[in-house]
Amino acid sequence: MNGLAQAQAKASVAPVPLGLYVHVPFCASTCDFCAFYQMQPTADGVERFLAGIGTEAAMVDWTRPVTTVFWGGGTPGLLAPRDLARLADTVRARCGGAPREWTVELAPASVTAARLAALREAGVTRVSLGAQSFQPMLLDALGRQHSREQVHRAYERIRAAGFASVNIDLMFALPGQTAEEWAADVREAVALAPDHLSTYCLTFEEDTKLWVKLSQGRVKLDLEHEAQLYEATWAQLAAAGYAQYEVSNFARPGHVCAHNLNTWHMHEWVGLGPSAASQQAGVRGANIADLEKWLAHVGRGERVTEDRVRLTPAALAEDALIFGLRMNAGVDLATWRARAPEAPWPLVEDMLATLAGGALLVREDDWVRLTDRGRLIADTIGAEVMAAFEPITETA
Amino acid sequence: MPAKYTRNFCIIAHVDHGKTTLSDRLLEHTNTVAMRVMTAQHLDSMDLEKERGITIKSHPVTMTYRAKDGHNYKLNLMDTPGHVDFSYEVSRSLAACEGAVLLIDAGQGVEAQTVANAHLAFGQKLKVIPVINKIDLPSANLELCTRQLEDILTIPAEEAILASGKSGIGITDILEAVVARVPPPRWTEYPQTRALVFDSLYDSYRGCIAYVRVFSGTIKAGETMVLMSTGQKAEVKEVGVFMPKMEKIASLGAGDVGYIVSSIKNTADVKTGDTITNGARPATEMLPGYKEVRPLVFCGLYPLESDDYEKLKAALGRLRLNDAAFVYASESSLALGFGFRCGFLGLLHMEIIQERIRREHDVEIISTYPSVIYQVIKQGGEEISVDNPVNMPDPGTILEIKEPTIRASIIIPNDSMGDILALIMEKRGTANHTDTLDATRVMLHCVLPLNEILVDFNDRLKSVTHGYGSMDYELGDYITSDLVKMDIMINGDPVDAFACIVHREKADGRGRQLCEKLAEIIPPQMFKVAIQAAIGGKIIARDNVKEMRKDVTAKCYGGDISRKRKLLDKQKEGKKKMKQIGKVSIPPDAFIKVLQNN
Repeated sequence: MNGLAQAQAKASVAPVPLGLYVHVPFCASTCDFCAFYQMQPTADGVERFLAGIGTEAAMVDWTRPVTTVFWGGGTPGLLAPRDLARLADTVRARCGGAPREWTVELAPASVTAARLAALREAGVTRVSLGAQSFQPMLLDALGRQHSREQVHRAYERIRAAGFASVNIDLMFALPGQTAEEWAADVREAVALAPDHLSTYCLTFEEDTKLWVKLSQGRVKLDLEHEAQLYEATWAQLAAAGYAQYEVSNFARPGHVCAHNLNTWHMHEWVGLGPSAASQQAGVRGANIADLEKWLAHVGRGERVTEDRVRLTPAALAEDALIFGLRMNAGVDLATWRARAPEAPWPLVEDMLATLAGGALLVREDDWVRLTDRGRLIADTIGAEVMAAFEPITETA
Repeated sequence: MPAKYTRNFCIIAHVDHGKTTLSDRLLEHTNTVAMRVMTAQHLDSMDLEKERGITIKSHPVTMTYRAKDGHNYKLNLMDTPGHVDFSYEVSRSLAACEGAVLLIDAGQGVEAQTVANAHLAFGQKLKVIPVINKIDLPSANLELCTRQLEDILTIPAEEAILASGKSGIGITDILEAVVARVPPPRWTEYPQTRALVFDSLYDSYRGCIAYVRVFSGTIKAGETMVLMSTGQKAEVKEVGVFMPKMEKIASLGAGDVGYIVSSIKNTADVKTGDTITNGARPATEMLPGYKEVRPLVFCGLYPLESDDYEKLKAALGRLRLNDAAFVYASESSLALGFGFRCGFLGLLHMEIIQERIRREHDVEIISTYPSVIYQVIKQGGEEISVDNPVNMPDPGTILEIKEPTIRASIIIPNDSMGDILALIMEKRGTANHTDTLDATRVMLHCVLPLNEILVDFNDRLKSVTHGYGSMDYELGDYITSDLVKMDIMINGDPVDAFACIVHREKADGRGRQLCEKLAEIIPPQMFKVAIQAAIGGKIIARDNVKEMRKDVTAKCYGGDISRKRKLLDKQKEGKKKMKQIGKVSIPPDAFIKVLQNN
C-alpha cells in the first residue's frame, strides 16, 4: 500500500481525535510572566462562569466523543471542590464516556486533599503542577505565591491521590538564574519522579510585568545563555530517562500529553470559557478574553468570535509543519500531501532541502524532523515554512 | 547714468572673516535695504549657507553712492560662492567685476582660501583692494597682516584699508577706494550686445532667471536673445536689477548687473559663464572663460525607505533646476534597490546636495562610497572613463588605470608639520614645498589623489591641527596608479554597493575592515555565512557572520496557535523586507550602517 492509500485508509478507520479545553479564568494573583486571561475570583463570578460553560457546551456541535480534556487557566484549582465537580459534570455530559486523558492544571498553593478527591471522583487522570522553580528567590522574582515546601507537599498529595500521570512545570532563563541553579531545579524535580516534565524557557510576553522590566532594561535577554540552558536541560533529562518529544516537553514511556499532541498534529479541539481557542469543522478561532463579554456572547448564542479563520487543507498542512517540526518525531509529509495536494509542495521541498543542507533538518523517506540545532531555532524555521506556503495562503 | 560712473566689485574672503557684516555696512551706508533683511525675506531655504558660512548662490545688489568727488556712482556688489568646489562659479562672478575687496581678518591673518581667492582675482585681472577687517579685536595683529599681504600676496602694504564691519570703521574709505581704484566697466565699446551669465535661479512661476553682467549694448523686454554656447534663442520677457530685491526696469545697459527673465524654463539651458547676445544683431565672439562644468565626484544615492524612491526622484529634479552643475541618472543596486548615480563638483557640493535632500525634501537617503572618474586604458589602447566601480572592466583587460589628483595648499601650525606629513603620506600624497607665513604657520603645497580626500581628509586635517588647519585645492593631472577593484562577497556573491577602487597597498586593510564590519552588522543567520573581500577572484580578507543560536518560543498550546502564527507572520514579513543575497537575509539597513560607518 502506498503512502496516500495508507493515509486514506487510516482516515476512514479512526475518526480524528477531538480535544476539549476549558479555560478557568481565575487566579489569586497575577504572575510576572503570565499573559493568559485571568481575574480575581468572586462567588458570583464563579457561579456565572460555570453557568456560562454549561450554555456554551450546549452550543457546540459534538459530532463525536472527546478523546482528551484539559483544564487550564488561570488556576482551575481555585474552584471549590463542589464547583470542580459541577464543571466536571458539564464536561462528562459532552464526552460520551470517559476521555482517554483528562488533565487539570493546579498551582501548588491550591492543592488540597478535598480538591484532589473531587477531581479523582470526576475522572481526572492527569495533574499538571505549576511549580516553575524550587528556588525561593526565583519564585519570588516570578511573583509566584508559593514556597518550595508547598511544591513538595502538593506533589506528595497529588501522588497520594493516585492520578495516573503527573507533570511538573518548570521555568528557566529566569532573571538572575545561573546555569547551576537551573540544573539544581531540574535535579530536584527529577528526584520527585514525575511522569512528565515541561521545562519552559522564560518568554517575555507583552502585557506582563516582566515585559515592562525588559523594556526598561532592568532585565536583559541573553540568547546564547538561553541556548546553553536548553542544551543542558535536554542532556540532563535524557540521562534521567525522560524522552524529549517537543521543544519543552519530556515524558517517561507512555506518559506524553495526548491533548497537546492532538493540537500539534492539527487535529480538532473545542475550547470553552473566556479566551479559549477552538479548531473544529474547518474553523479556527477563540472566545473573547473577558468574562462579562464572553457571557454576553454565549447568552446570544455566539462563540468563537475572535480571530476566526476558515482553514483549508493547505493551511492545515502549513500549520502541521510549523507546529509539527517542534516535535522530535517530526512530520509525515505523505499524510499532508494526501490531505492537501494543492499546497505548493515543490516550494516546500526546496525549503526543506535547504534546511537539510544546513544540518537543521533530517529527512527519512517522507518523515522530516529537526536536528537539535534546528529545534533551537524552530521559530525562524516556522517563518520559513510560512514563506514557502505563501503562494497558497495568498490566494486562499 | 553713463557707464563711467558704474563700479562692479566683489568681496572675497576666507570663511568667517566678516564678509556678510561688512556687506551689510556698505548697504546701510548707501541707504540700500540691508542684506540681512533681504536674506530673511527671500533666502530662508538656504540655511545651509548660513550654517556653513559659505555662499552657494549669488546675491548681487546695486547701491548708489555719492562719492567725495561729488558724483553719484552705481556700485554693483557681487557675491561670490566661497568654496573651492565652486571655483568655476567663483571665476565667473569675478569675471563680472573689475575689482575685488579682499578681506583679511586682523586676528587670523591670511588663510588658504584668502590666497586662493586672491589668485583667482589676479587671474581675472581685477584691481584688488586689501581690507584688514576686525581691527578693533584685542587679538588684532596689524603688523602680521600687512607683512603677509606683501610676502604672500605681493600687495603693497600701504594699499591696505583698516576696517571693522562690526563697529563701522573704514566703511567710507572702502567705498571711496572702490570708486577711485576699481576701473570703470570694461569692453563697453564692443559693437554688439554681450552679457555674461554668472548665475541663474529657478522660479516656479517665471522659469529660469539668468543673473547677468552686461558688458556692451542693451537688453530689454520683447527682444530676442541668443545663448552663444548653444545658439539657443529665447524671448526676453523682463529685465531688472537687484535693489537687492528684484526690481523690473526698462533696459539693462553696458556695465549693468541685473537679471533676465526669458521664455527659457530650464536652468540647465542657461549655463553659468555663457554669453547672451542680441538675436537681431548677434555678436560673433563670446566673452572669454566659458567652459562646460563637469562633475568630479560621484556617488550613488538611495532612499532609506524604498517607498521614498519617487520622492527622492522629485527632490533631485527640483535641486537640479537650481543647480545645473549637479547631475543624476537612475541606477539600481542589488544591495540597496533603486536609486540614482549622482555627480557633483566636489565634496562640499556633494554634502550640500545630500543635506538639502534630507532637510528641504524630507527624504532619508543613504550614499554609497564616493568615487572619482578613473581613466582606464585597456589592452589595445582603448580608453574609457569609469565613475562607478561596478563598471570597472575585468582586470585582465586593463593596461593601466589613471586617477585624478589635486594640488592642495594647506595652512597649518608649525608644530603640526610631522602629523600632516604623515597624513599626506598615508593618503598617498607628495609634499612639494612649504612657504613660511609667520612665526607659527606654514603653507604646505602638496599633490594628493582626489579619491584619498573624498571621505575623511578634512576631518583628519582639522583633528591633527586642533582645528587650525585650512586647505584649498585645485584640480591637478591624472596620474597612473596601481589601483584595483575590490569586491565584497557574501557567501560568494559580490555585493555591488561595496565594490570600490582602491590602491593595491590599501586593499588588504580596507577589505579586512569591511568584512569585519559586515560580519558584525549582519544579524545571525540560520547557516554559516562567509564575508570575503576579493581582488579579481583572489580572496584577500574574510570573516564569518554568526550562526543563529536560539529562536524558539517555549510554550505552544492550542490557544497559542493563532497568536503564534501572527508572530511568525511578522517574522516572515520582516524577512521579506530583507535583501536576499543568495541564501542570506540581510536587513535593509545593514548595508547602510556599514556605509555610514565608513
